[in-house]
Amino acid sequence: MGRSVRRVAAVGLVAALAISGCSGQSLEGGNDDAAAGQVSLKINFWGDMGLDKLKAKYEAEHTNVKIVLNSGEYNAQHEDLQKKLVAGSGAPDISAVDEGFIVQFRSQADQFVNLVDKGASSYESKYLGWKWKASQSADGKQIGLGTDVGGLAMCYRTDLFKAAGLPTDRESVSKLWPTWDEFIATGQKYTKATGKKFVDSGTNLFNPVLAQQPVGFYDDQEALQMEGGPKVAFDTSMKAIEAGISANLASFQPNWDQGFKKDQFAALACPAWMLGHIQDTAPDQKGKWDIASIPGGGGNWGGSWWTIPKQGKNVDEAYKFVEWLIQPEQQIEVFKTVGNLPSQPALYKDPAVLDFKKEFFTNAPTGQIFAATAENLQPQYLGKKNGPTRVAVENVITRVQQGGLKPDAAWAEAVKAADKASKA
Amino acid sequence: MSLTEIRPAPPGQPKHAPPPRAKFWLYRFDTKTVPYLLIAPFFLLFAIFGLFPIVFNAIVALRNWRLDEPDERGWAGFENFSRLLTDEDFWNALGNTFGIFVLSTIPQLLIALIIANLLNRKLRGTTWWRVGILLPYVTPVAASTLVFAMFFARDYGLANWFLSLVGFGNENPIDWRAAKWSSWIAIATMVNWKWIGYNALLYLSAMQSIPKDVYEASAVDGAGPWRQLWQITVPMIQPVILFTVVLSTIGGLQLFNEPMLFDENPASASGGSDGQFQTIAQLIYKVGWKDLNLGYAAAMSWALFLIILIVAAVNALATRRLGGDK
Repeated sequence: MGRSVRRVAAVGLVAALAISGCSGQSLEGGNDDAAAGQVSLKINFWGDMGLDKLKAKYEAEHTNVKIVLNSGEYNAQHEDLQKKLVAGSGAPDISAVDEGFIVQFRSQADQFVNLVDKGASSYESKYLGWKWKASQSADGKQIGLGTDVGGLAMCYRTDLFKAAGLPTDRESVSKLWPTWDEFIATGQKYTKATGKKFVDSGTNLFNPVLAQQPVGFYDDQEALQMEGGPKVAFDTSMKAIEAGISANLASFQPNWDQGFKKDQFAALACPAWMLGHIQDTAPDQKGKWDIASIPGGGGNWGGSWWTIPKQGKNVDEAYKFVEWLIQPEQQIEVFKTVGNLPSQPALYKDPAVLDFKKEFFTNAPTGQIFAATAENLQPQYLGKKNGPTRVAVENVITRVQQGGLKPDAAWAEAVKAADKASKA
Repeated sequence: MSLTEIRPAPPGQPKHAPPPRAKFWLYRFDTKTVPYLLIAPFFLLFAIFGLFPIVFNAIVALRNWRLDEPDERGWAGFENFSRLLTDEDFWNALGNTFGIFVLSTIPQLLIALIIANLLNRKLRGTTWWRVGILLPYVTPVAASTLVFAMFFARDYGLANWFLSLVGFGNENPIDWRAAKWSSWIAIATMVNWKWIGYNALLYLSAMQSIPKDVYEASAVDGAGPWRQLWQITVPMIQPVILFTVVLSTIGGLQLFNEPMLFDENPASASGGSDGQFQTIAQLIYKVGWKDLNLGYAAAMSWALFLIILIVAAVNALATRRLGGDK
């Protein structure tokens, strides 16, 4: 904001609205041409969801539909959607919503088209049960159809492993760490041999370990319970930090991206959607990455849904497109382009998925690896305050990494922070 | 108009005949109404973008409005405001905001004053210098902040590299975001960098209207440059100083972009892992759009509005004193 508009009047909520409103918006998809039988569908998402080719294909098959892809930053897109819902207009025709935000939006189910009304119930049996439920409101309205799930694996750098005298092929590497304790011990070996850190951050151990627990921050009665899953995950991350194997970088930030390029870590917990990020961040590391199984078994981290805000003018056309997008053929296409793993279990047995090998990751059979983790995973109930609680606990881990907090005092702080976030 | 063209008025007509009636109304309209019409657009825009949000904000502040609990709408009375008084986060953010405000405003205005004083002398390439100091102001804040965020990075940051040259932090580089003092300094540096040139130019333009003979007279009386600065320049450009103090107060207390983009994890809007540099504007954003409590966020905005009014008034009074208005 320039100085010229810095008047007393521009304080606060208005300022916040104006500033963050500037992010990730483009011109509204014109609905003016609807009269001529032309329909324009604006789709908001983040990163690369593999829609470029599909858009051309759909437009060729449906000449009256024009699809406008609007990719933005992950958080900005969700916030933008939230603001447009409050404002009552301006939302895209279709918006992707991630696991981290689905709880927030399903409690505003009235703002979305109930997809059951459009005939989506026929797809219920095709989806992983928990994936279907996660986007359902308390009174049974379905606000989204699932795209991908984030089955977990462990990505690692074969060249760095080799330099540290560790095995490099994925079977032997998987055998190094059946449990998280053994994973940390491997990390210590690596750090000792090379003097470099092994993992990117304590928070990136906390999240996958938490995802493997049967109960997360909240039980299905919405009660915060820190002593179960969160405690296990927190202790694991503390152990790794104390062992000195964490590079203490905050995920998805410039320093983290730089960490890829500067070899600041050698292993990274990777849900299926992380593959695209690694490829984009460090394109010159092609063939230097491989994928092993994650310690402690399956778990889910992230994954999205397609939702249709009710305020749109073309909700029927929007639903037709979403319905087309979630058909097996398109889901497999997306999997092959960006690596996002479909959320329909039938596809995990599809030869097109099982035989697929990712060249960037030393020809790892990503289909087999992620399909196996997705089937075994323990679905977790995500409470209403799951997002803010996660941020609060992650911040406590960051404080330990920054040296401002002793690891043995950290758990009490984490409980306090989580409690506060649950009441915010 | 040519001075040589002197024509006598036609006979029979008085020199100042009353204008025709229509013309009379036009004159009247021109002098009485047009000025209001000309300033109206500002007030119209102010009403839409200034007054309305303030009033609307006040109404929202008195209501329960949670996005994640759409059913809990209704009047809350002063509950949101009373909650503020016991909210640790609010007081922490208030402390941070004032800390960064002091670290940025005071050096900023002092350095601007000194730079303006230097630029007011005969220098080679005057224009070049003057344009040069304004460059940071022209740089988009998001761009400069991102560069600063890398400058103050823990690993491979330039700031730590400079410090290591003089022997600091070779073993343990400073994690600028970890402690209050370091993060405040980093953020204040960004603010100072951006606004020093702008303020210096304002001061410079005021200084150029001071008559030279005042300086000559004082020089004859034996006043050195430092004394001239404080006893002649500063009192004589006092209105501009007042203006910059008030504007810096408003800007400083609304600080948002710099701490937001400086954070390693901007998405959380928590201003560091322990709220080390969370400003009030940032907290308002977090409460509104992360905790989804719009009513409480509106109450905070109103509190910030009042705080800014009070601090700006206090600063204005203090500056008047400084300028010698006894």
